[in-house]
Amino acid sequence: MGNAFDREEGKILSRAAILAIAVGIGLVMPHVLSPFYLMILSEALIMSIFALSFNLLFGYMGQLSFGQAAFYGLGGYAVAMLITKAHFNFWLSLLAGVLVAAIAGLVVGYFCVRLRGIYFAILTLAFGQLLFVIIYKWHDFTGGDDGIQGVFPPGILTSPKVYYYLIFLAFLGSSYLLWRIVNSPFGYVLKAMRDNPERTEFLGINISRYQLFAFVISAALSGLAGALWAPFYRSVAPFYLMWVKSGEPVMATILGGANTFLGPVVGTFVMTFVHAYVLGFTYFWPVIMGCFILLVIFFLPGGILGFALEKFTTWRRENSGHGRGRSGSSGDKKPD
Amino acid sequence: MSPDVFFNQFMSGLARGALLFLVASGLSLTFGVLRVLNFAHGSLYMLGAFLCYSLWAKILLPSLGFYIATLISAIIMGAVGLIIETSILRALYKRGWPEQLLATYALILIITDLVKWQWGGQFLSVSRPRPFTGAVFVFGLPFPAYNLFVIALGLAIAIFLWWLVYRTRLGDIIRAAAHDREMVAALGIPIPWLFTWIFVLGAFIAGLSGAVAAPFGAVALGMDIEIIVECFAVVVIGGMGSLPGTLLGSFIVGQVYSFGIMYKPELALAFIFMVMAVVLIIRPWGIFGRPER
Repeated sequence: MGNAFDREEGKILSRAAILAIAVGIGLVMPHVLSPFYLMILSEALIMSIFALSFNLLFGYMGQLSFGQAAFYGLGGYAVAMLITKAHFNFWLSLLAGVLVAAIAGLVVGYFCVRLRGIYFAILTLAFGQLLFVIIYKWHDFTGGDDGIQGVFPPGILTSPKVYYYLIFLAFLGSSYLLWRIVNSPFGYVLKAMRDNPERTEFLGINISRYQLFAFVISAALSGLAGALWAPFYRSVAPFYLMWVKSGEPVMATILGGANTFLGPVVGTFVMTFVHAYVLGFTYFWPVIMGCFILLVIFFLPGGILGFALEKFTTWRRENSGHGRGRSGSSGDKKPD
Repeated sequence: MSPDVFFNQFMSGLARGALLFLVASGLSLTFGVLRVLNFAHGSLYMLGAFLCYSLWAKILLPSLGFYIATLISAIIMGAVGLIIETSILRALYKRGWPEQLLATYALILIITDLVKWQWGGQFLSVSRPRPFTGAVFVFGLPFPAYNLFVIALGLAIAIFLWWLVYRTRLGDIIRAAAHDREMVAALGIPIPWLFTWIFVLGAFIAGLSGAVAAPFGAVALGMDIEIIVECFAVVVIGGMGSLPGTLLGSFIVGQVYSFGIMYKPELALAFIFMVMAVVLIIRPWGIFGRPER
């Protein structure tokens, strides 16, 4: 039994060590990477926030949102419009971006959380497209298909290195927040709803209210990702709200492994860097991505990180001599 | 609104609804039996339209060319459906629906790029075939004859599908499989065979509707996404997997779009989603759908 305690302590220590190394690498990166790859890394970190926010709904709550880009795009548009048209304070604009996305999430979520499974996916997609069409067609207010250019961050933040640190900080902050959420009593309710909605309801839990709350958090963090992106890319365009953009976190998450906390991050990094690499020699990126997705679905069930973790767990179990793993049930591949 | 304006909008809404029904019926049929939401259905439709354009441009017979091109495109799309079902979807039936959805999403990316590579990003057009080139007068008001052709074809496919699903032995199997797949398999019906042919039929209808849509508007990239989103609205309003529901949903969406575009063109699509939201609040599984078990 003392053994179990040691193991628990060891796990916390190794986790802290990995985290420290990751943060260290993140902090050093701007001084190591070329400007181009620093830009790609910044993009990957923003998209990671986006994918993590999506996976709160998908991996932990069991609902696939195909309209997540609407919140991402709204966050970006809010920042872009406040900065270029109202000359608003940068930090307040970021906050406003998150707020606008959260409010939109509240309205859209109100309708969507009544549904399950594929119906939820379709309805989120439809609402996402609706918001896209409004931004796209409302030329006088949003600039329509021209988008908005000249979204500059203030002062020192115009430097890509400094802006990278802001992104990195936001990434750490939102990851920590989500980690705390999924390991809180609220997070356990989400997982219970995913695994057995009827039984959770019998426990007296109002499923719709919990799901709506998670939906708003997810929308707010997607909005944060969009709000960081607009000043990073200096512009926004309507296609940020489109369903193709909504597909990106879905792909990244399933690619990396929806059943692991960091799977979406792994998937996003693979996608972003492969994208940057492929664009070097061909414009036909989607067809490569499509084949890549099919390959992962067929040959890496559980995603890259999920597959690796499973192999690692079986390997450790075989080598530790006794067959009792911590979770015991090898068939249970949901995140815990 | 004067009566002739009303009638005009109503008729063009009817034509749009008929086209929507053509596309959505294939989507709904596939979902009803296979329980797979084929995201790429719109891409099959788009590919059908592009194929029709190329065949039509190659054949260039004044009166028959378009019909031959339409038929060949539909058959080719059926064959494409056969390849997709046997090589990709079949392996994924045992997986969760998110993976199936993502696989069809991957197909969208692949098909879109293939179309871009083969036909480029330009707008192509197919002229209306004879004898539907001009206008006919309905109650003394001019109306494009081709729209009448689309409405008639929509009705014909509706009747054909109704006959297939409710009046044939295959239809019995289809309805039974939609209800309880294991039971049907236990009765000795080869489910993989059924799934393959239903998917092929769905793809055939998608190709047919794409070809028919070609003289209707422009043949261009993006027509897949435009139609599939509206089809989702149709099946959500009418009820997933229900034939009468798809018919009613197409009618509603076509009319809402047609009158919406007259009232405020920018918001035509928004009105559709508002109707959808209202239906979902009252009946989350659609007008003719059944609640999920």
